[in-house]
Amino acid sequence: MELVKKHTSTQSQKLMVFVLTMALYGLATLFTELIPKFQVGVVEFSVEFFLFIPLTLAMLFDPLSAALGAATGELVFSEIMLGQFGGLGELEKFLTVTIGVYIAGRMVRNPKNRKMVGIAAITGTALQLLMGTIVDILKVQFAVEDFEAVAGLPESVFATEGFAFLNDLLFSGILFCLLPTLFLVPKLYGKIEPLLGMRPRDEKTWLGGINIKVIMGAIIAFAVAAGAELLASSGTSLIEWEAEWAESGTALVVGMVVAAVIAVITLVVLKCKAGKEKAQ
Amino acid sequence: MREMKIKKKLSENILDKFSIDFLRNQVLKNAYGNDDTVIARLDPRILLVWYLFIGLVPWFVNNLWFLIACFLLVLVTTKLARVAGLVLLLFAIGVFTQTGYLLIVSFFFGGNTSTIIPLLILTLKVATCSLASITVFSGLDPDRLSNGLMWYGCPERLSFSISYAYRVLPMLMEEFQNILLSFRMRGNPPAHETFWGKVKYLFYQTKIVMHAFYPLMLNTAKRSRTTVEALEIKGYRYAAVNKNVKKIKLSSMKITYNDLLFLAVSFLWISLSILASKIF
Repeated sequence: MELVKKHTSTQSQKLMVFVLTMALYGLATLFTELIPKFQVGVVEFSVEFFLFIPLTLAMLFDPLSAALGAATGELVFSEIMLGQFGGLGELEKFLTVTIGVYIAGRMVRNPKNRKMVGIAAITGTALQLLMGTIVDILKVQFAVEDFEAVAGLPESVFATEGFAFLNDLLFSGILFCLLPTLFLVPKLYGKIEPLLGMRPRDEKTWLGGINIKVIMGAIIAFAVAAGAELLASSGTSLIEWEAEWAESGTALVVGMVVAAVIAVITLVVLKCKAGKEKAQ
Repeated sequence: MREMKIKKKLSENILDKFSIDFLRNQVLKNAYGNDDTVIARLDPRILLVWYLFIGLVPWFVNNLWFLIACFLLVLVTTKLARVAGLVLLLFAIGVFTQTGYLLIVSFFFGGNTSTIIPLLILTLKVATCSLASITVFSGLDPDRLSNGLMWYGCPERLSFSISYAYRVLPMLMEEFQNILLSFRMRGNPPAHETFWGKVKYLFYQTKIVMHAFYPLMLNTAKRSRTTVEALEIKGYRYAAVNKNVKKIKLSSMKITYNDLLFLAVSFLWISLSILASKIF
């Protein structure tokens, strides 16, 4: 067995990392969701205040499990539990968080090297924010009909989104992502790994730096994310839903209403019957 | 003097309510407190199909009648699901920050009344989809929800995450609160009477929250190891992919007349709205 055993973590250890990241990041995003977002003028401070948690864990453990755990945690705790699930659009958040955290985790070889940890933390945050900004701009362009025709809208969207990105990165990114990661990673290194029965990350257990494969994977995932978000919020440009109706005519709609009425009546009758039989 | 007193009392009252205990209660109430409602008794599979329609179709339709009808429908179902107040408040804030602010900004850049109609349509779409998801995801009991998702072939990891999240969240919140309290007991917060003191106090609080994650991470690491080991003893990773296990797990779901009636009434309402959009 010893010969086969690799230095990377086993399946159950990956599951542990997944559960750990999910629980912690989920809890944190639940708080951010519950705290009303504070706005200064028109600019919204919408940073992931607690992105340092998955960043830290991705630098210490298996990056992919940590990244997926973080994205799932956010989805389950703050979207599904609070009933804020946005359907297909959530895929965008899921994938951008995964990409940002995963890349930051892959960048760090030695968690004791503070400089590298800092660079990785800010890169991961910047990536996540940038992808979100791009998708947001595209979204408004597609969702509102005649985007260019609405007076003042294009400029306002570019201005607010661009400013929000810079503001998030420089203010909240440094304060809430960079500094806590710099504080936590060296402090947890060597202490938290034994709790999961693992060996701390070093030259041997490191997965290797960013290569072409990782970048390609990230680009494809981002394309999927952007596509999903646009599909979720695009208007009639993709499916000519309204045109179909226009041709279908009133007769068909009346037919639909009649069918629905018949269905409701039948079901009520059947239900009453079933209830009576049960009573007897 | 008396006014000051009332004001002070009022702000104290609000702060009292917005404690971690309050948040925990609201989340728990949302998750488990309403399993006797009409919505909670419906079959999760039927509700998910319904959600797929109501959550997706409005994005492709720009007819005001249809959108208003969908909105009214989800308003009724949300009322039936008896969703916790905090979630509804978050919904209102969310809708405003997603599109409401755009309205103000586009006025700022020289928009006029022609801006309102497209933005109203966008707001209706956003509101309908969020309310539909609130109905489905907060109205249903987490275990039923995860069973329903599993029936549709969602990854086992996701349904596990949902069930686990609801169980572990109250514990995590309590632990986080205890850590924060112990920090507060030993700490020496800066005086916060002046403005500068208030800024310092805010930074101090933020620092404590960040620091609190250090012990929380270690404790959660231990707990997630225990969880995964307990799961492994029960053969979780094999059971997760085994078809027979899945069958036994999903055999409790049953479609009744109520489910079909719910679908039929929704269908009737939607087709009536289409009829209305034809006639007017």
